[in-house]
Amino acid sequence: MKKQPLLTTVLTLLVVLLGVASAQGQEIDILIKGGHVIDPKNGINEPMDVAIADGKILEVAPSISSGSAETVVNASGLYVTPGLIDMHTHLFYGTEEIGFSGFEITNSHGSVQPDAFSFRSGVTTMVDAGSSGWRNFPDFRRQTIDNANTRILAFISIAGYGMRGSIDANVVEDMDPEATAFLIQENSDVIVGVKKHHYRGGDFRPVERAVEAGTLAGVPVMVDFGFHDPPLSLETLLMEKLRPGDILTHTHYSSPSRQGAIDEEGNLRPFILKAQERGVNFDVGHGAGGFQWTQAVPGTRQGFWPNTLSTDLYRWSMNAGMKNMNNVMSKFLLLGMPLEEVIARSTWEPAKIIQREDLGHLSPGAEADVAVLDLLEGNFGFLDARGLRIEGEQKLETELTLKAGQVVYDLNGISSEPFEGW
Amino acid sequence: MSVSRDGQVGDSGMITSLQVYCPGPVLSYNPLFYNDDSDSRLIYIPDLVSVRFRILLLYWVATEIDLPMKLNRYEKLVSESRAWKHGLLLLFLTVIPLALQAQPYDLVIKGGHLIDPRHNIDEPMDLAIHEGSVARVAKGIPADEAAQIIDATGLYVTPGLIDVHAHVFSGSQPGRFADGFNSVSPDGFTFRNGITTVVDPGSAGWRTFDTFREQVISPSETRILAFLNLVGYGLYGTEYNNDRQDMDPDRTLKSIREHRDLIVGVRFGHYNGADYLEPLDTALRVAEEAGLPFQLECNLPNLDVEEVLERMRPGDQFTHSYEPGRRSLLDEEGRIYDFVWEARRRGVLFDVGHGGASFRFTQAVPSVQQGFWPDTFGTDLHRYSINDGMKNMLNVMSKFMAMGMELSEVIERATWRAAQSIQREDLGHLGVGAVADVALLNRIEGSFGFVDAGNFRLDGSQKLITELTLREGEVVWDLNGLAARSWTLGKP
Repeated sequence: MKKQPLLTTVLTLLVVLLGVASAQGQEIDILIKGGHVIDPKNGINEPMDVAIADGKILEVAPSISSGSAETVVNASGLYVTPGLIDMHTHLFYGTEEIGFSGFEITNSHGSVQPDAFSFRSGVTTMVDAGSSGWRNFPDFRRQTIDNANTRILAFISIAGYGMRGSIDANVVEDMDPEATAFLIQENSDVIVGVKKHHYRGGDFRPVERAVEAGTLAGVPVMVDFGFHDPPLSLETLLMEKLRPGDILTHTHYSSPSRQGAIDEEGNLRPFILKAQERGVNFDVGHGAGGFQWTQAVPGTRQGFWPNTLSTDLYRWSMNAGMKNMNNVMSKFLLLGMPLEEVIARSTWEPAKIIQREDLGHLSPGAEADVAVLDLLEGNFGFLDARGLRIEGEQKLETELTLKAGQVVYDLNGISSEPFEGW
Repeated sequence: MSVSRDGQVGDSGMITSLQVYCPGPVLSYNPLFYNDDSDSRLIYIPDLVSVRFRILLLYWVATEIDLPMKLNRYEKLVSESRAWKHGLLLLFLTVIPLALQAQPYDLVIKGGHLIDPRHNIDEPMDLAIHEGSVARVAKGIPADEAAQIIDATGLYVTPGLIDVHAHVFSGSQPGRFADGFNSVSPDGFTFRNGITTVVDPGSAGWRTFDTFREQVISPSETRILAFLNLVGYGLYGTEYNNDRQDMDPDRTLKSIREHRDLIVGVRFGHYNGADYLEPLDTALRVAEEAGLPFQLECNLPNLDVEEVLERMRPGDQFTHSYEPGRRSLLDEEGRIYDFVWEARRRGVLFDVGHGGASFRFTQAVPSVQQGFWPDTFGTDLHRYSINDGMKNMLNVMSKFMAMGMELSEVIERATWRAAQSIQREDLGHLGVGAVADVALLNRIEGSFGFVDAGNFRLDGSQKLITELTLREGEVVWDLNGLAARSWTLGKP
């Protein structure tokens, strides 16, 4: 839609004025006081208070008076950020497709229940990475998305049955760009992209079909480039096949069936930064196998940083080196990423990539999805997917999570009243 | 050599190709046999022999059992050495087993403070594990007797914890505990909290237990035991809970006998009728006949606590012990009722059953001040408790430490007494020969808050977290990589 510049200006002014008026008149439900706000979209990285009313951000400012606030949370010593967005999860938990060869992700127990992992890690939005396809997305929606307290968005697989098994991932005939695009348009409130995964053939057809679906529906494509036999050219994928805005996941990963960003000599392949410059996004997708220190250390040392941090949460990663979103974020602190960037790549950056700019920031009027994080000091060990440990001295931990202004997790009861009867 | 899992599981049980990961600087940097086939199994060769030898060994194992294997840049090495194959295979068959014999233990956990209440151990002690079982508990077990050492300095080494109250019959039905979204898939909540065994409190009944077994119990890595609900459907929804016709003692008993390896008791609760004592007596009769404990879930609007406690036998369990209202164990002056003390003297057990709504400081604080501590720390894990004041079993345990319980008493209730309460005395201790379910716990100091169901907070200065968990001798959780090999960031 084309907008008239003048009309836009007038509307913006009106919104701002209304916002100010309401901020003055409205009761605060929750006031988070004394914390250090990091809101990358709005360029905030300093001590600020956050006022919440009616499930929305009312105001972010220094020293908001607690007079009218129903609940005041003391966040001194803590970081206050937008609710985290985990770009890569598997949430199609169910009982139907047990026994299929593969990871048992689709309507099966290889996926996890979202609320069990989200809020305790400050995550308010989880993006499912292709656990369902056009044939079974309605089941996923009814069974998981509609029942969860966590906001769930989804990439849908170009394979009709999602990640049901290794056979389904290889039937190119079932990868239907038009059906996929149609489903996306029907469910545009929750579907944010197309996923390609686990195809063993030595050709680009699934990538091409995913991109075709993405183009038809106007959404990005996320590619898991593993499993190809023989391995395909990463350069061709990144420089020719993917469009600006598309995503490569399992960034810090190499195997005989998948070229890593780092070559055998430990050098960053020359086209990687060029691909990032042309707008291809790199997602961590840690998982049980998708994150190797041997890729991440030389990569980041040579200036290659992922655009989004994410877990690839599923049954086999949850108890391994991955553990949870905060643990993955802490690994990037360890690698030398500044905290502000760690937060940006877990909030506003993924929000932009999935074209959900309503999320991932604390602008007044935005849904009050908020994480309050503690940066612990101590001796910590961080495991990759190959059983290697690097030691670090900082670790992020979630103190408090709000979803739409409601307290959904409170580790130490900082939003609770003290018990006086002791 | 052992075969384990690296996130890649085939369903057929057939090995169709090998996925290999060799530890060692060279191999980790270039995982050479790594194959992303989802039907693969991981073959792990410990760091005992040279890298070169391990490569050959792997290759020959693969060729012997006729499996495809990628060799990459090591192809030359293998072909050059092929002539040596039989000689080295001989070496493999003789020297390696000899070398392994020199190390009688798979794993020794050294330097920790061991708490094993069953054996009255509460002091620094090493723990040796072999083939999934506890092999030795002693001071100063020599490091060279183990294939692997875990340094537990500063940590507590305890039997794997047992949560006696966890709704884990997870499934896809909204609003239900049986086969439903209200239950929690167990493995995501157990190992990270040092738990190796959970007991489901009657989410399933005789009609649904087969599904529970097939769908959750068998594929889970956590050991799952269960109370069987007197209601045939289990916790399937209010209309089912109140259907007397579905409470069939004979079929319940038959189901218990069929699944005697997993069912540890009979459960009754969630019933709205004024005639609740009749089905309760039926459940007691089934438990008596099966020789198992009975668990009362007191979600009964017509409940008279005195009346039910009188009916309960030694070893039977009362859960939600610190909940106000009709089921309160405190009188109006806040004193524990005499009949509650009497029940405890007779051997009736009182479980926390924390849950989302069933634990209040207004009940718990006066109770423990009068010396009425719980027998077990059942979490009442379910969808509505995981993100609430309950959070996880270690949080519940830490909460009781904040109320003044000693660590050794906390561990006793979370291990040995929990095992006794379900008549599974093979569990909950570290006796030689016992299954090597082990938790390495860290007692961290700081300022912590513990929240109850009324959203009140009690502050405490210590909290338990899990560093490492072993299930049958296998590392299933390793928070900071205690059991992993070290890697380095290198030069910036």
